[in-house]
Amino acid sequence: MSRAVPLLQAREVTVSRQGEAGRSQRVLQKTSLEIDAGEVLAVVGPSGGGKSTLLRLFNRLLEPDSGEILLAGINIQTIDPPLLRSRIPLVAQKPFLFSGTVRDNLLASARLRRSASTDLDDPELQELLELCQINSAWLDRDARKLSIGQQQRICLMRALVGPCQALLLDEPTSALDRPMADQLAQTFRELARQKNLAIVLVTHDLRLAELCVDRIALLLDGSVVEEGPATQVLHHPTTAAARQFLSSEPVEHSETKG
Amino acid sequence: MNTTIINLDLWDLVTVYSLLLMSIGLAHLLKAGQNKDLFWSGLRMFVQLLVVGYVLHLVFALKTALPVLLILTVMIGFAVQTIGSRVQVKMPHFYRIVGTAILFGCGGMTFFFCTLVIGLEPWYDPRYLIPLAGMVIGNSMTGASLAVERLAAEFKERREEIETALCLGSSVQLAAEPAVSSAFRAALIPSINAMAAMGLVFLPGMMTGQILSGTEPLIAVKYQIAIMCVITGSVSLTSFLILRLGYRSYFTSHQSLRED
Repeated sequence: MSRAVPLLQAREVTVSRQGEAGRSQRVLQKTSLEIDAGEVLAVVGPSGGGKSTLLRLFNRLLEPDSGEILLAGINIQTIDPPLLRSRIPLVAQKPFLFSGTVRDNLLASARLRRSASTDLDDPELQELLELCQINSAWLDRDARKLSIGQQQRICLMRALVGPCQALLLDEPTSALDRPMADQLAQTFRELARQKNLAIVLVTHDLRLAELCVDRIALLLDGSVVEEGPATQVLHHPTTAAARQFLSSEPVEHSETKG
Repeated sequence: MNTTIINLDLWDLVTVYSLLLMSIGLAHLLKAGQNKDLFWSGLRMFVQLLVVGYVLHLVFALKTALPVLLILTVMIGFAVQTIGSRVQVKMPHFYRIVGTAILFGCGGMTFFFCTLVIGLEPWYDPRYLIPLAGMVIGNSMTGASLAVERLAAEFKERREEIETALCLGSSVQLAAEPAVSSAFRAALIPSINAMAAMGLVFLPGMMTGQILSGTEPLIAVKYQIAIMCVITGSVSLTSFLILRLGYRSYFTSHQSLRED
């Protein structure tokens, strides 16, 4: 299938890490991936398979040993990291909120980027509040006293305030129970559609992936072994490696783990 | 004012060393196991100070700048090494950063005091410059160690916070700001406490020394006030430089946190 320039693209990226006894260990091996605007892509696979490493390459928290990452066709090496990260924010597994109120946290991005201060009355931010299902009654509460699920929604919206084009999510639902995780997954889908965001969701929760994503990439030992529409990858995998992994992690019974 | 100084002769020193023997005896009695430490420290003090006394005697007599500068350089070198042995976790480029900070922080403040305030003639007059620099460097060492140690602890504790800020598009400077200001606060606490307790809890060493050697108490007090301001200035400038140069070493060239 030929497409226009994808919003985010990883081209044959390789990452090694100094392992035990000083031996260099390949974490990613010539991995390639593409994500379009408005699309949710899940990167699934066993822990230690390089999923988080791949995610951290997209906003230059890590640099690849070789290969390149492109944002709208532009090599991100040429983009100043703070600017890049305001376009492609990352939401971590465990929500981290700065001390202060929910409002302080939601407006933190503008402060940290030294950009013009925004106001939550702004219609665009009102829409985001609604999309992220943040109750306006929370705004003046101590952010760290909210529930984990509420905190993760604050983190999500905080990342989206500004000129965001893509969103990186690193196991964002792993601290949540199943109903809450499902709700948040729906939010990801709506965000991608309504804000035309490219979302990369790293997860080991196959059930969740099937629920909210358009495509799935299965990462095993640093390589994408299977990639395609979610149902196809999960139910009709073409490679032996994928079949073996999926049989060990049946979609129906996978649990959200911490 | 009577400026006759009561000299201590060899027998007086022997007499006070008997107090060290008493300490060794007490340590032995309580099985503290410090007999050897006390003995060797006492001996080291004797030899080191005697050597310093002779060196100062010589330098005072020479009346040239070079030996004074040499002594100051050795003092800075020892200060950096002492800080290095005190702190557990050293930042990358530790020696370069701390050396630069002490050189400009302590050196700058001492020079400011000696030339602009006291108006030393010649500027390197060792009788003033060496003891004053010694006090400034010695006191700044505590602040510098605290700054280095606290910065490392803050970066460890605040890793999540700093990375969250980076992921939202923050510059490294802004992301590190809470860690840097907390480390600066820690470095300055001893100076603040010392100034507040000055004269109430203890009579500071320099003032005591000046009074013992016959200086009018009010002059000694003025010197003490001045030196405390210089020390506080030096602690803050040295810590500021360590933190400003040091925080960057926790980040990579592409503005992310270094791996542990």
